[in-house]
Amino acid sequence: MNQKQLGYLFEIAWILPSVAVPIAFLVAIVITAFAVGISVPGEAGRVDPKTLNTTAPFDKPGLRELAPGRYEAVITAQLFNFTPGELEIPAGSKVTFIVTSRDVIHGYKVENTPINMMIVPGQISRMTTTFDQPGEYYVYCHEYCGGGHHLMAGKIIVTPAQSASSGR
Amino acid sequence: MAIAERTAGTISPPDIHARPGWAGWLSTTDHKRIGIMYLVSAFIFFLIGGIEALLMRIQLGTPDNTFLTPDVYNQMFTMHGTTMVFLAVMPLNVGLGNYIVPLMIGARDMAFPRLNALSIWLFIIGGLMLYVSFFAGGAPNVGWFAYAPLTQKQFAPSAGVDYWIIGIGLTGVASIAGALNFIVTILNMRAPGMTLSRMPLFVWMQLVVAFILIFAFPVLTVATIQLLFDRHFGTRFFLPAQGGDAVLWQHLFWFFGHPEVYILILPTMGIISEVLPTFSRKPIFGYAFVAYSGVAIGFLGFLVWAHHMFAVGLGPLANAFFGAASFLIAVPTGVKIFNWLATMWQGSLNLTTAMHYAIGFISMFVIGGISGITLASPPINVQQTDSYYVVAHMHYVLFGGAIQGIFAGVFYWFPKMTGRMLDERLGKWQFWLMLISFNLTFFPMHLSGNEGMPRRIYTYEAGMGWELWNLLSTIGSLLLAVAVLLFLWNMLTSLRRGAIAPADPWDGATLEWAVSSPPPSYNFAVVPTVQSRRPLWDRKYPHLHESHDPGEESMERLGAVMHDAAETEPPIPAGAIHMPSPTYAPLILALGIMVLGFGIIYLGDLGLAAAAAMLVGLLVMAGGIVSWVRISHVDSPHHAH
Repeated sequence: MNQKQLGYLFEIAWILPSVAVPIAFLVAIVITAFAVGISVPGEAGRVDPKTLNTTAPFDKPGLRELAPGRYEAVITAQLFNFTPGELEIPAGSKVTFIVTSRDVIHGYKVENTPINMMIVPGQISRMTTTFDQPGEYYVYCHEYCGGGHHLMAGKIIVTPAQSASSGR
Repeated sequence: MAIAERTAGTISPPDIHARPGWAGWLSTTDHKRIGIMYLVSAFIFFLIGGIEALLMRIQLGTPDNTFLTPDVYNQMFTMHGTTMVFLAVMPLNVGLGNYIVPLMIGARDMAFPRLNALSIWLFIIGGLMLYVSFFAGGAPNVGWFAYAPLTQKQFAPSAGVDYWIIGIGLTGVASIAGALNFIVTILNMRAPGMTLSRMPLFVWMQLVVAFILIFAFPVLTVATIQLLFDRHFGTRFFLPAQGGDAVLWQHLFWFFGHPEVYILILPTMGIISEVLPTFSRKPIFGYAFVAYSGVAIGFLGFLVWAHHMFAVGLGPLANAFFGAASFLIAVPTGVKIFNWLATMWQGSLNLTTAMHYAIGFISMFVIGGISGITLASPPINVQQTDSYYVVAHMHYVLFGGAIQGIFAGVFYWFPKMTGRMLDERLGKWQFWLMLISFNLTFFPMHLSGNEGMPRRIYTYEAGMGWELWNLLSTIGSLLLAVAVLLFLWNMLTSLRRGAIAPADPWDGATLEWAVSSPPPSYNFAVVPTVQSRRPLWDRKYPHLHESHDPGEESMERLGAVMHDAAETEPPIPAGAIHMPSPTYAPLILALGIMVLGFGIIYLGDLGLAAAAAMLVGLLVMAGGIVSWVRISHVDSPHHAH
């Protein structure tokens, strides 16, 4: 094989994988979006951060059961905590998080779930996920918000499914 | 401008090119001296930014550490980011460009030498003002991205944010003026025969960056001025509680911030495109592709800013667009990388320290590029946004890429600038130590990021699974500091005892190697005529007319046989070449702007006293402008005759 052919082979051997890699990534996006149902956060509405205490649903933050196994968590973020900071949910429930901020930009990330939203004052962020595995899920602010940023955390406790039917 | 004249023989006043000692530096308009001032001051800021990084790494080395207080930690990461972007990598690139670009294109100086001097003084003063904040109530602690509304007075009451606004503003004016200077110089002052398609790739990339700068930087300047008005004068652009919009700041900031990434990386890609062919002893492979992919990167760089904002909730359509546009940038970047590899392919490699760094650039930049491609995908990005994975990604691009590229450029051009060779042996030790410790520092951040460690946290609890990765990063960062100190030692000893550099130590192909090391103040006694992309190889190897580039006429090289060195560099009687006179006017103007800046910072709090300072600043500025205009008149060719 002469030099020219060898060079040509090397070119092909490098170019084909580098074309394949972006295509693989794009396919992965399409699959995660349509088959696995992972979505990106979208703006769900606007709210005046000054009047949160009198604006539904943020006047009563907390967890509400909409239907069996179907929950809505209304949460406000402020320097340097979440209200409520701790949620208890039976395993297998589907939870919609509706979050806004009272002051500066915060984040709301629930570990090991797709939930990772930027919480902007004046804007409502909404995302939905299902908690299948019981356990403690660590929640933290991922967006730098000032001196106590590293302390701004919460917890979601997912209880085993049977306690849900017997307990509440 | 007198300097735009290409022919020798304009008789200048007998004065001459520089005043002795410190005065020579303070009043200089010589692009080479200004380039060196950029490089030295930016290197000092690089060391300071590095110390800030070390303090952060020591704080994060162990869980629940209290080495720093949270507020000091927050100041450190804000200043580290701001310093490395605005005061280190950008001006290091500008410094190399300032020194090398006029030499490469066969010009005697920049198009506007006094404007060039104003740029360096505004840059130094802007950087110093940013650091004055440490002594004026605390450095800014809002992050280099300064997300609203955390930057508002109620959340950030100290003057730190104001110093940040003014400091960034001054370096911004310096950059915009510098960019205009580069554009005019490159478009108008090339030697005869040097068409755009024969221009060295380093010059191409500096030209692209100059255009990016004049489109991107004003956006940041406007946004920071809006922020200043929000903080002091009752506007509410970014105040959601009063009807403003916090996300507007993010759009404005990243519309500047993402092109800024290319402002940092493209000049170093230009350096690599010069170093690789020289030390592979063959021309760059696919010159036109390398040049135009740089242009494509510059253009696409303006279409991807919202990939920094996928978690904001812009909606699926916007996220899909910005995700796809970010993927697209991988194409011209990949084109460049393959062309560099093809340049080395079958080359006769000369593994100098500069070549080590160039190869290090390619390998580390590819890792940063691949993590960048994964981050371009919105669903993945949403998982990793604001985690240490992003910190790893951008340091692979900006340290593994930009800083290693700059080291390649410094080892390559140090002999030209100083007339002394750097110690190659020590340089290679430094390279290996830096490559290993760089990976030890930043590779574990991919892992801690994937374990969920968020960015910008002051400390973390034990038992999160992050301890080992953080400890490794901290050890790596200390070794990285040793590598930087090795370079400092190499530089200081080589300046005194290094081997004397010949005019052309590396068998270079571009015009800067045609003149002595360091070059005379007028650069070229006789402005050379250029017949190809490799004018110096034409001169040195006229018999080698077998062209590697199918697009190039092979016979052209024979016609390109140039005069020998004695003919191109005849001794020049003092004052035979008209050069711009030294002047303090740009320095005075910059000092006036500084005083004005201090006045603006305290106008909201001190009222009359600050207004008086502003008035003084304006008067000093007026003095600077008057003396500038006067010297322009004296300097004009009509006056000189």
